[in-house]
Amino acid sequence: MIKETTRKKGRADANPSKAKPLIGVFGITGCAGCQLSIIFNEDDILDLIDLVDLRAFPFIKEVNPEEHFDICIIEGLVADKGDLERIKKLRGNSKMVVSLGACACTGCVPAYRQFTLKENYEHLLYQKMEEIQDVKPTPIDAHIKVDYYIPGCPPDKKQILAFIKGAVAGRIPKPYDSPVCIECRQNGNACLLDVGKPCLGPITAGGCDAVCINGGFECWGCRGPTKDMHLDLMIDILRAKGFDDRFIQDRMRTFVGLKLPMLEKVMKKTSEVNVTFKGMPAQRGLP
Amino acid sequence: MQVFRQDKKRWREFLIRLSRSAELIAPVKTDLLRFEPITDPEQIYLEKNAYFPLKEWFFRKEEVIFQFTGNKLTVPAFTAPKQRIFFGVRKCDLNAIRHQDMVFINDVGDPYYKAQREHSLLLGYHCNTAPSQYCFCGSMDLVDFFDLMFYDKEDYFLIEVGSDRGEALIAEHHDLFEQHNRLITQDEKHIPGADRLKVKDIAHLYDNPGWKEGVDKCLSCGACTALCPTCYCFEFHDETKLADPQSGERKRFWSSCQLQDFTRVAGDHVFRKEREERFKHRIYHQLDYFREKYGIQMCVGCGRCIEGCPTRIDFVDIINRMERPEKKEA
Repeated sequence: MIKETTRKKGRADANPSKAKPLIGVFGITGCAGCQLSIIFNEDDILDLIDLVDLRAFPFIKEVNPEEHFDICIIEGLVADKGDLERIKKLRGNSKMVVSLGACACTGCVPAYRQFTLKENYEHLLYQKMEEIQDVKPTPIDAHIKVDYYIPGCPPDKKQILAFIKGAVAGRIPKPYDSPVCIECRQNGNACLLDVGKPCLGPITAGGCDAVCINGGFECWGCRGPTKDMHLDLMIDILRAKGFDDRFIQDRMRTFVGLKLPMLEKVMKKTSEVNVTFKGMPAQRGLP
Repeated sequence: MQVFRQDKKRWREFLIRLSRSAELIAPVKTDLLRFEPITDPEQIYLEKNAYFPLKEWFFRKEEVIFQFTGNKLTVPAFTAPKQRIFFGVRKCDLNAIRHQDMVFINDVGDPYYKAQREHSLLLGYHCNTAPSQYCFCGSMDLVDFFDLMFYDKEDYFLIEVGSDRGEALIAEHHDLFEQHNRLITQDEKHIPGADRLKVKDIAHLYDNPGWKEGVDKCLSCGACTALCPTCYCFEFHDETKLADPQSGERKRFWSSCQLQDFTRVAGDHVFRKEREERFKHRIYHQLDYFREKYGIQMCVGCGRCIEGCPTRIDFVDIINRMERPEKKEA
């Protein structure tokens, strides 16, 4: 307790006259990993709680009113009727809504079943629980207006902090729209495409510090395509590396399928032209 | 310039001594070839040129420009690293450092870069043949720029002195060197197999349809600019403190002209929105715009941008074929 008072005393309050922004953090259908990413900011979490008024965070708090938010951060995607009602209510009670994580931003893995026929998964759905009513799995911006996106599966914990800091100071950070390759090469990694791994870094927005590739694991594109992606070339490269169309399509759809509605068309278009790459290593590694 | 001779046994001894008194940085083969601090000369790998350039040692990927609290700025103290000796630097990389010096030291007097460049000795290693199929340094106007240059003669090295500091280093370890009574000839300095780029001036080629071939295979991933030893574009970001959003740091990071975000300005206007414009901009900056300003081409012909490109876009080949379309290869 004594420690707590000293810590608070030593710091000048940035803007004492201004009320702290009211923040709510909610999860709908999802794994809660993105909410966990907020908590992973262990060294900063006490300062964070001083900076904002954490009104609701059911994951870690007992009392959680669901109204009057300046910023409402939502994790997960809409997969049943309850989710839908909940986010509509939250939207109505919030000045700003933020999608946290790949499910909320792009649909992520749970939305993958949109690309298959219902009979392929129907038997896997909850059959006997009436309170769970299945709807088409969709990211939250398919239903409500979203003001800011923090993508990633899971999102980068520093990016969450940067957003909250920025929002408090009135300088919301600009979304990161450069490919993963930028940070990857700057980190001194070898290109995984060169060793035959199906890395989607060149068409995927970074901001993650290329964390997967730093660990030797190829990019699956969880943060969504860049605005400037060269999709047809990416497909041609993967084909030249020996990956078949089924594999390429599945891989690209795993995290951000809903953000690539043109994929089938582009695959068809590019399959009509045989592109060759002079000098590019073509060996296929283990997928 | 003075020339010395050193046999390879003594060369090891020389490097061991250097590593005791300074930080010795040389190419080491891990997954790829890169410059790393070493303690044992056995770690040095000289068969090929390093995949990653030397620039990150001087023009750092992330640099704190100043700290701020409200409107009050504090510039961090320039703590130059202790004496650093770089061994095994090729002619292209040495010239790349010269070109970056022109920009950061001579032109703008950048104190952050200067602090890194001070107390650095550059010991070159001459390429007897072009170390990579992508090299084209012979087509560029490279000069002698080094403290010492090592010419590998199988059993021994010939060492050319390029500066007073290089000479002082030899004087300090004079027991390991012998005077050599002839100069290095122009023939010895020539690097065979490295004059691939046949076109000196590309200004008139800007609208040539030949660029399309490269643009079609460009992912705009920025690998070329990150691996380039001369590319020096950067961007700034402010990082505020959580406990006090009015204070924080302004940092400089590497950036890349291949990104749309690089030319995104207020009002969300993007100057080089098209991939083609960005693709050409890098090559024109390297071969044309830089020359307009500084009198020499910025590119040093190391070929890293080709070797590191995921699709191996060979802009040298593309330019050559624009000028001589009849020699079109398959």
